[in-house]
Amino acid sequence: MAEELPDPQCLIVADADVLIRNALAEYLRHCGYKVFEAATSDEVIIALEEGAVKIDALLADAELSGKFNAFELRLWVRNHYPDVEIVLAGNIDSAAKAAGHLCDEGPHLQRPYDPESVAAHIKRLLAATRRQDR
Amino acid sequence: MDAQTILVVEDEILIRFILADSLRDIGYQVLEAGDGDEGHNILSSGQAVDLLVTDVRMPGEVDGLELIRRSKLLAPGRPVIICSAHLLRSEAFPADEFLAKPYSMDALAEVILRLIGDPWQKNSQIHSA
Repeated sequence: MAEELPDPQCLIVADADVLIRNALAEYLRHCGYKVFEAATSDEVIIALEEGAVKIDALLADAELSGKFNAFELRLWVRNHYPDVEIVLAGNIDSAAKAAGHLCDEGPHLQRPYDPESVAAHIKRLLAATRRQDR
Repeated sequence: MDAQTILVVEDEILIRFILADSLRDIGYQVLEAGDGDEGHNILSSGQAVDLLVTDVRMPGEVDGLELIRRSKLLAPGRPVIICSAHLLRSEAFPADEFLAKPYSMDALAEVILRLIGDPWQKNSQIHSA
């Protein structure tokens, strides 16, 4: 009989900027995680409370908006979901670095590429969007 | 070769997650946006998007119909599916297909297959310039 694989670990990536969020989430999916993408603290709360899956970690932008700011959210998560690891990141480089660390601790896959290239990819996307908006 | 990419624009996080997760399980690459403004940012970023699946009523400046208009300006050949509980089929003409909410994943997968083919099919002509 085939051995049953364990459920993948679940993360939430929370960032108001969709291009940053998408890139970090995609990187972490390549590392083997299942990833919820949240734009606000309200969405993080919904994912935790109604997501029907156990969340293992939250990677959030320190500037996250919503019902709670990022620091209030961290406190709320610690009180309500003490098993959830929380990482706040202040900029693109630190977010990519944190994603790299999560990848190293991750379920079963190796890093698909360096966190530095994640950060560079995000910066290229942001620059392209700004050019379009001009 | 990369799989075909679908942009899912939906403001309800749990619906968006289930939808995106199911499409990833089929083999498509999926980009997620929480509203029309985010959807527009992704389309403007130059990332290859083969198909747009969007809700209509969403917060922000860009609703689903406006997002379709912008997508058609950027890439006229890129197909679009509208998923809505509020729109009538006759009002969904800017899109290539319409699914009334609630819809099944099987129904959505069937429409996607018809519009862009399987995840590994090459449709490079529909990407934005």
